Amino acid sequence: MNIFFLIILIFFSGAILSFIINRIAPKFSGITTFVTIAVVSFLFFTQVEINSITQFSLGGIQMQFGVNNYTYIFAILVLGLSLLASLFSIKYMQDNDRLGYFYSNFILSIAGMVGIIFSRDFISFFIFWEIMTWSSYLIVIYDGARSSRSGLKYMIFSAIGAYAMLTAIVSIKGSYGTFIISEAIENGAFNFTDHIYIPIMLLVGFAVKAALMPLHVWAPNAYSKSPMSFTAIFSGAMSKMGILGMGLVLASVYSHSTDENAFNVLILRQILGWLGGITAVMATIYALIQTDAKKLLAYSSVAQLGYIIVGLSTGTKLGVMAALFLAIIHAVFKGALFMVAGAVERQVGTTDMTKISGLIRKMPFTFFTALVSIIALAGIPPLGGFVGKWMLYEALITESNNYFLVIVIFFSSTAAFMYSYRFLFGLFLGQEEKEIEHVKEAPVTMIIPMVILALILIVTGVYPGILFEPIAQGMQYLGYSDVNWDMSVLVNVWGEESNMAYINLTIGVVFVVIFIFLTLKNLKGTRYVGTKDISTSGEIPTENENLTFQLDFFKPFQRAAAPLYKRSMDKIWNDLGNALEAIFDFTRRIYTGNGQTYALFVIIFLVILLIFKNTLFTN
Amino acid sequence: MEDLGLKIFGAILTTILGFTVGMTYGGIVRKLTARVQNRYGPPFYQNFLDLLKLQVKKTNIAHGFMGHMAPVWIIIAAVTVLLFIPILNGNLWFPNMSFHGDLIFLLYMMVFGSLGMALGAGQSGNPNSAIGVSRGLSQMVGFEIPFVLSLVALMIQYETTSVQELTQIQHETGVWNAISNPFAFLAALFASLGMFRYSPFDIVGAPAELASGPVSEFGGKYLGTMMSGGAIFAFIKLTLYVHLFLGGAGNPDNTGIIATLLGLGVLLIKTFTLYMVPVFYGWINPRYRTEQAIQYFWRWPTALGIIGVIWAVYS
Repeated sequence: MNIFFLIILIFFSGAILSFIINRIAPKFSGITTFVTIAVVSFLFFTQVEINSITQFSLGGIQMQFGVNNYTYIFAILVLGLSLLASLFSIKYMQDNDRLGYFYSNFILSIAGMVGIIFSRDFISFFIFWEIMTWSSYLIVIYDGARSSRSGLKYMIFSAIGAYAMLTAIVSIKGSYGTFIISEAIENGAFNFTDHIYIPIMLLVGFAVKAALMPLHVWAPNAYSKSPMSFTAIFSGAMSKMGILGMGLVLASVYSHSTDENAFNVLILRQILGWLGGITAVMATIYALIQTDAKKLLAYSSVAQLGYIIVGLSTGTKLGVMAALFLAIIHAVFKGALFMVAGAVERQVGTTDMTKISGLIRKMPFTFFTALVSIIALAGIPPLGGFVGKWMLYEALITESNNYFLVIVIFFSSTAAFMYSYRFLFGLFLGQEEKEIEHVKEAPVTMIIPMVILALILIVTGVYPGILFEPIAQGMQYLGYSDVNWDMSVLVNVWGEESNMAYINLTIGVVFVVIFIFLTLKNLKGTRYVGTKDISTSGEIPTENENLTFQLDFFKPFQRAAAPLYKRSMDKIWNDLGNALEAIFDFTRRIYTGNGQTYALFVIIFLVILLIFKNTLFTN
Repeated sequence: MEDLGLKIFGAILTTILGFTVGMTYGGIVRKLTARVQNRYGPPFYQNFLDLLKLQVKKTNIAHGFMGHMAPVWIIIAAVTVLLFIPILNGNLWFPNMSFHGDLIFLLYMMVFGSLGMALGAGQSGNPNSAIGVSRGLSQMVGFEIPFVLSLVALMIQYETTSVQELTQIQHETGVWNAISNPFAFLAALFASLGMFRYSPFDIVGAPAELASGPVSEFGGKYLGTMMSGGAIFAFIKLTLYVHLFLGGAGNPDNTGIIATLLGLGVLLIKTFTLYMVPVFYGWINPRYRTEQAIQYFWRWPTALGIIGVIWAVYS
């Protein structure tokens, strides 16, 4: 059997199997999911050849499956993260009901993503896109009534995106006579000259998944309401499907457009870049006022996707490379962070940062993961996050001449330090309250995937070349020639470099020296005192005195940035929704249920016909 | 191997220089401030005595793992950044790796230490520390905007992101960047007020309000190490400013002993003059509230920075 069909078949049978097994032995439902994904990953990375194509026809439409260098990047991302998330999920979801429902949708959503990666034609692309959307929607509403509203929002926006995409696909068939993606690109479907609405419609469809402003409002709620083991994939991998599509369209626009500096291309570049930048800023400032750790991470995801879109919008070598690198790194650290939130949720029962604090000594491994991921998120050297940020800035400064966008991005990533610290402080640092005394570290099967992700972040900081290799090959597929990369040296077009080897060596040497001479000695010689034993200007705090500082953590910043907080896309959409509801309500009143009124409508209609009969029925 | 030995020797020499100069400047400022306030004040070497006292103390209690790590992180950040900026433009004594890490790297690396300190302060559980960190992060978002605007202006004006290159350009043309792009320089100067945290921007430590804020739970060797890190950071910021805007120091065409010493002298004069700007500004100002401090940076300094970028594009 063909390997592509086999993989899809394993996914679907895994979904059914996990549903059935849940009826017999609920414990094994999660394990089935993990095994299914493990088998598929093994098959994919051993059996699938890059650039091999399988043709078949369905209902008279030619369809193709295959993997190219570009989609291979996303395959690594999706399968790697899904594998770890499904391992994490086993213990995380253990005590929940309806596991069959959850896990079958879990597998289906991954099947959808893998299917998107396989698709070489628009029809199967769209079918898998919908499988992915629907199964993720079903997981968003897994919690029932509590999350049905967020689910509805997600579905409405997904529907907008899907219709936009479908319109584009049908138009491509109508204008260029093909459903095959590569043929459409070669025929110039994304040229941005003849049928300008085709790429725009497609971009709208992808932008919904990539949570680009103004289509992002579903994301914060949908991300935070789903079970965390799924959100790790939802935010980490599924949003990257939007990036996959956007990258494909944009690269074709830039590289196939007759004049790269044509006016409409420049406009596209500016609009997308600024939308990404504004998304980043607004999501960041909303992230830093959240009190729920999950919601904070959800907003932060939207912000990070903003950076990636900014990178893509530049269309330059370094910019696209930065975007793809950030896409992978974001999947890693945000996957890890959502797992951290999940671990805390499972062990403590809540992720509300005003209720818990001081978990560092209770959950050291979880804290380690959180710390490493947060350093990567904030883009502080020497971890992988810095590499991506560096390339993004250099691309914007040296290649795209979009200087004020640099400032916007920089503002957003400096403000990101604030919510990064808020996350660590809120959950792990601060006062050790009595309420958390019973808390234990998460089970081993939850720790392992988290720590693996943290280690990936450390390794990619020292050797970013590991990721540059597939990215460079993928970019060559997109039409960029001579993509240079080095194992640990980052270079911009002006020739300046950041040498991760030197940086890491320096940091490592200083660390070891200071650690030996200062910390090691004091680690043994000191005894730990509780968090109540602190300097309080002579007052001695009693046992029950509350010294926790968690509420309104960044109130001064909120006051300083008050004008920014007045704008909310969510509010605008809600107003629009209410206005539409009012119109529909008015329309509904036509149906009064009274036979007399309906008779009146018929008469009015006939009268109108009579009056306009000359203009309506002239010939 | 001899080369490597020389480099290690140079790295140690650089660290000692940064540390000594930073500490001495801090002491001089203490003395000057006292005289302005009509006090006698401590001698200029008081900081060294304080440090000595802290380092001979034995640390008995600890506030958890991040508390142990905080001073380490600060020193890591301080020394790493110090080694990646040029001390003198062209010299034999001070190794400089600025070709291996550019301005964007330096910007991010400087945050590394603050993050470590913030985490250590956080684990102590002292609410004052947490408030200090919250204020510090907020203020950073304030002053980073004009600072980055001025850096972007320089980078696009001279099409380079390397500090060494920027110094070299000023050496070759003989025109300081402070003169070729005055708006960027002014924006950066305003940003430096927030960076050095003297009044009216001393909201992080905030004596008599937050009980010295983030550092309040640290003592003995830990406080001493943090103090040294802070002193090195003061030197770093000053040297960076001198190299970016004030023509740098040192002569790459002449690396003899006399020329190097002369370069050092020039560096000291320039850095000290620059250091007096936030200090003078602080003497005549009371403390801002956090939101006032942030908004201060988002008004004129940011406007100047934007003008600086436009200036750089059209010059």
